[in-house]
Amino acid sequence: MASPIPSPGALRVLRSSVNPKLHCQTQIRHASLLRRPKRPYTFTQLVTLSDGSSFVHRTTNPIPVYKSTKDVRNTPLWNPSSQKLLNIEEDEAGRLKAFRAKFGRGWDAEVPDESTETPEGQPEAQREDSLMDLISGYSREAEKKSGTKGTKEPAVPSGKGKGGQK
Amino acid sequence: MILRIERARPIPTPGNATAIMNAGHRSARHIASRKGPSICHARISPYSSAATATAPALEAQAQLSSILPVTSTSLSQAYQIRAGVVLSRPPLLTRDLHPFEKSFYLYQRRLNERLALPFPRYFYFKKDTPADIDWKRKMKQRLTPARDIGVYNPYGPEGWNDEVLVGAQEAEPAWQVKRLLEDADASAPESAGADAAKGVEGAAVAEVGVEVAAEASKKKAEPVERPMPRETEADRKGDQRSLDRLMQRSLYLVVQNKEGRWVLPDDQIRGRETLHQAAERVLVQNAGLNMNTWVVGNVPVGHYSFEYLKRRPHPERKNVEELGEKIFFMKARIMAGQANLADNKLGIKDFKWLAKEEVQKVVNQKYWSAIQNMLTDR
Repeated sequence: MASPIPSPGALRVLRSSVNPKLHCQTQIRHASLLRRPKRPYTFTQLVTLSDGSSFVHRTTNPIPVYKSTKDVRNTPLWNPSSQKLLNIEEDEAGRLKAFRAKFGRGWDAEVPDESTETPEGQPEAQREDSLMDLISGYSREAEKKSGTKGTKEPAVPSGKGKGGQK
Repeated sequence: MILRIERARPIPTPGNATAIMNAGHRSARHIASRKGPSICHARISPYSSAATATAPALEAQAQLSSILPVTSTSLSQAYQIRAGVVLSRPPLLTRDLHPFEKSFYLYQRRLNERLALPFPRYFYFKKDTPADIDWKRKMKQRLTPARDIGVYNPYGPEGWNDEVLVGAQEAEPAWQVKRLLEDADASAPESAGADAAKGVEGAAVAEVGVEVAAEASKKKAEPVERPMPRETEADRKGDQRSLDRLMQRSLYLVVQNKEGRWVLPDDQIRGRETLHQAAERVLVQNAGLNMNTWVVGNVPVGHYSFEYLKRRPHPERKNVEELGEKIFFMKARIMAGQANLADNKLGIKDFKWLAKEEVQKVVNQKYWSAIQNMLTDR
């Protein structure tokens, strides 16, 4: 015969000598109530982007077809090589020129490529000698200098010139 | 006098690569330290570990020659190093669904009707507005707010009956999109028509009523703009030069060189250009400037090496014999444009944009075994 079966008293002593936390090592699987999640009603919707591409997605919006006018497909940030979305200045009525004559060039949008001239063709030397213009001009110069050091050319492969416009 | 050139170790093939690395490793280093910086050890290393290798080992410089101990001082041997380009147009559409996926998604949408909260009509539509009236009318027809699951009422006595027969049209994505568009068509003109009818009844002037009715019928005739079809004209014609074909697959550019073989575009590395620069130059010289491409990284993604049947002298350097060619492929993507063979300088006769299995049909078998793992199945 192998080891004798210990008596209940001996078992009790044995159990109490063990760490009370390790007392019960079996899984405890009592049934518990899970609250059902409250999810909103969702529809299937056809989304048409500005370039004509479309996809289907789930949304709480009850409209069946959604046509977006401004999205990732007509943003210059996400389409860097698209000529259509470039911010090219067209001063048809001459209002920009009048504005600059009045308020100087300090309010101009930043031009990404310094070498290209705007259609107006105002070289940097010709600037009105107003105080505000000088101040705004100096601040813009400072911005440009720090800007050209920090930023790189946009992500177009270097070496050979590439057309590739859509 | 016949020169006998003894080889220290055999030409590496994929089979005995590890043996060479283990056995000839030290001797290769020894030779390298003697001869100078630009050496091709003809080392086979997996391309996945190439990115973690040391920088000098990665640079595939020009004028590489595999240095082997020669008994005679006059002749050395080299492989011509070429840069190739795997130019891919990634898929433009998501893939078609498997029938199991279609029926699973339909089942999940019908199940969702019973599990989600009911649609709060009061929140989206104000009472007795045209949109509200429109909504109520449509709900009577389809018994549920959803438009893409067919006629199904989750809360009625027939709520248990949510299964559709095999091959039912409710499972098809095309039918679901069609239903959404019909629903959008029915919204605006119908409500305008209903308003016009009410207006006619209310107004006393018959002419105004006629005009309004004409307007309503005009509005009804203008449906919502349909999305473009998934199968393009190029698919139907089988035009293999078009980039609009097989929108769900990746297409790769293969060109027919002057010998008439279909290959991925490649060219010899000239001067001291890197593989990246060589790949860009290859694309411009092969296929023209009218492509918006992007060559990815500086590390090649595959290679193909073969030996000439007859060794030929090096065209530029004296006393160097060309044993064969090693082509290292760079990965590139095309975003816009099309290939144009008009001024190509390398004698390219023709080009095609092909999916993976179509490429297998046009290239040689040995070439295919070298390039197949660079191409993706979808």
